[in-house]
Amino acid sequence: MRSSRLLTLGALLLFLLIAATGASAGGEEIFEIEPGFKPLPAMIMLATLALYLLIGIYSRVSTTSGYWVAGQGIGKIGNGAAIAADWMSAASFMGVAGLLYLKGWFGLGYILGWTGGYVLLLVLLAAQLRRFGKFTVAEFVGDRFDCHAVRLITAGVTVIIAVTYAIAQFKGIGLICGWIFGLGYAASIVFAAGITLSYLLISGMTGVTRNQQLQYVILISSFLIPLWILIQKAGGAGILPQLEYGAILSGIMEGKVAESAGGQLTGDDLARAATVFLPWGTGGDIYQFIALVFTLMVGTAGLPHILMRFYTVTSEDTARKSVLWALFFIGLLYWSSPVYAIMGRYWNPLGGQAVADVIILSAPERAGLGPAFLGYLAAGALAAGISTLAGLLITGASAVAHDWYATVVRPASSEQERLHVGRVFTAILCGGIVLAALNPPALIAQTVAMAFALAGNTIFPVCVAGIWYSRANKYGAIAGLIFGLDMTLLAMGGWLLKVPFFSDGGLLPATSSSLIVCPLTLLIVIVVSNLTAHKVTPESAGRMDDILRRLHNLPRP
Amino acid sequence: MTEPKRVEINFFRPRGERQRREVRIAVIVLSLWALLSFGLPLLIWLAGLGDSTGLGRSFLTATRFCGFPLHYWLIAQGCTIGYVLLCKLYCRLWTRRLARPW
Repeated sequence: MRSSRLLTLGALLLFLLIAATGASAGGEEIFEIEPGFKPLPAMIMLATLALYLLIGIYSRVSTTSGYWVAGQGIGKIGNGAAIAADWMSAASFMGVAGLLYLKGWFGLGYILGWTGGYVLLLVLLAAQLRRFGKFTVAEFVGDRFDCHAVRLITAGVTVIIAVTYAIAQFKGIGLICGWIFGLGYAASIVFAAGITLSYLLISGMTGVTRNQQLQYVILISSFLIPLWILIQKAGGAGILPQLEYGAILSGIMEGKVAESAGGQLTGDDLARAATVFLPWGTGGDIYQFIALVFTLMVGTAGLPHILMRFYTVTSEDTARKSVLWALFFIGLLYWSSPVYAIMGRYWNPLGGQAVADVIILSAPERAGLGPAFLGYLAAGALAAGISTLAGLLITGASAVAHDWYATVVRPASSEQERLHVGRVFTAILCGGIVLAALNPPALIAQTVAMAFALAGNTIFPVCVAGIWYSRANKYGAIAGLIFGLDMTLLAMGGWLLKVPFFSDGGLLPATSSSLIVCPLTLLIVIVVSNLTAHKVTPESAGRMDDILRRLHNLPRP
Repeated sequence: MTEPKRVEINFFRPRGERQRREVRIAVIVLSLWALLSFGLPLLIWLAGLGDSTGLGRSFLTATRFCGFPLHYWLIAQGCTIGYVLLCKLYCRLWTRRLARPW
């Protein structure tokens, strides 16, 4: 099987790299990274990028189904790895450890939300989406509710999420390219977008999926390897860092830190270091925690570029099992991110944002891994950015090219024409994202956090109602989508204007609004659908019932 | 003319043996999911209510498990490992109770 061959190839690459690197001893605990051209790391990074292009050429496609959903021929482990790579953005590769460093225990809410969402996805949506068997989320709700308006609104929401999310990738990508190639921000963006777009246009989802599998191997291995050395330097046995860091954490809560940081903290320093890891030591309360966790969960389960992955698999059984594998692969990252955070506190117990930002990129130097590994880590971080970008581009472009153009505007277009339009829209979307990323809105990080709230307030409740409540109709779906969208925008606006109600400590925090809005959206869909049940024509009802029978494997009458 | 019978699907009122089983599996897994996701944080919050500094110190923060402060381990690893096991449980229950054709 091709996907397993790719995983083997990745593992082999990794082995060669470790053999070539050789962990050299020494190297002080530094939390600085030096931008500028670095020859060996740059070569390694270029080699991996060339490999992505080769894989793209090797997986050329000529059908729309190949372009959008990889011909529905992906297996469970392969799809699991692809979901994981799709999911792990440059931000989660580099940012989560920093977040845990700054926010201590409260930051664990992000890990909880981003993993628990997959359980919801599995139980409520995954298999049914595969049974539906077409290309996009908008197509699913459009067909289920037999309504172009629902299709267009959902496609619009998909594009908003894809674009904001993609712009945010460039912050991380710019950091890495600057660090390894000495490129400026603008040049980094054009460079990374160019690589992604090239293999995407040649190979569509088929190449994206194969590349994502390889990218997963590169990103997870480059993320994990420094841990073993770091934990030994901090006095651990170096067998399983994910378990050993517990003792170091307990030590920090009692003021025990690295010799270079003073050995034993006392007085105010001790109090500050210890409180970070207490439940409410960095601010926040139980309502904020639960609202955050819930929003990230329903947001994860409603992200269109993740949902789309279930259309790419061979069967519904594969769809279910690939969620299990994806969660395991994602878990590997999230079980390890706290290790970096705790190590950071061990060597730098009272650092702030500056330390948190580069906690991952400075790790190989702290661990004394040579320049070859530096290149590999950069390739891993870049892989995280590029794989997410590719998934977002294909999802955003399909929303326009497939759901707007091929379904609504020109239903009579030929296969060849649709594929052509798909490529054109992928390129246009990429161009638009690059332009937006060159002048990023100031609050891009917060906007991305709101993308989760948006997905959780619109796509998730409407999909769940569509699958699990047969009386849900287009009027209910439109009302629910508009309510969810408006509430998300209202909360966002209120947050920008610093209205206390929508602030972090308010009742409806903009980044955690789904705890209240998502159930309300669901309720609105149900109530409005019941009130308008008489308006649905028998023909439309018949078409909706056909879809429902397919979703639930019911016999035809 | 009589109208054709509509498809009836309601998560809270499943019809037919197959759907009842499917929903029962979903309810089991979702209950455990809610217990992990919201039960554990609520427990940590409740236990910490006695701390007058408002930082949430309790027996959970004082207890050590595998070297970890228990409240940290429960959320950082307990829950996420639990989610993976829940997914496994769901796949297994599905194969056992629903795989044969209906």
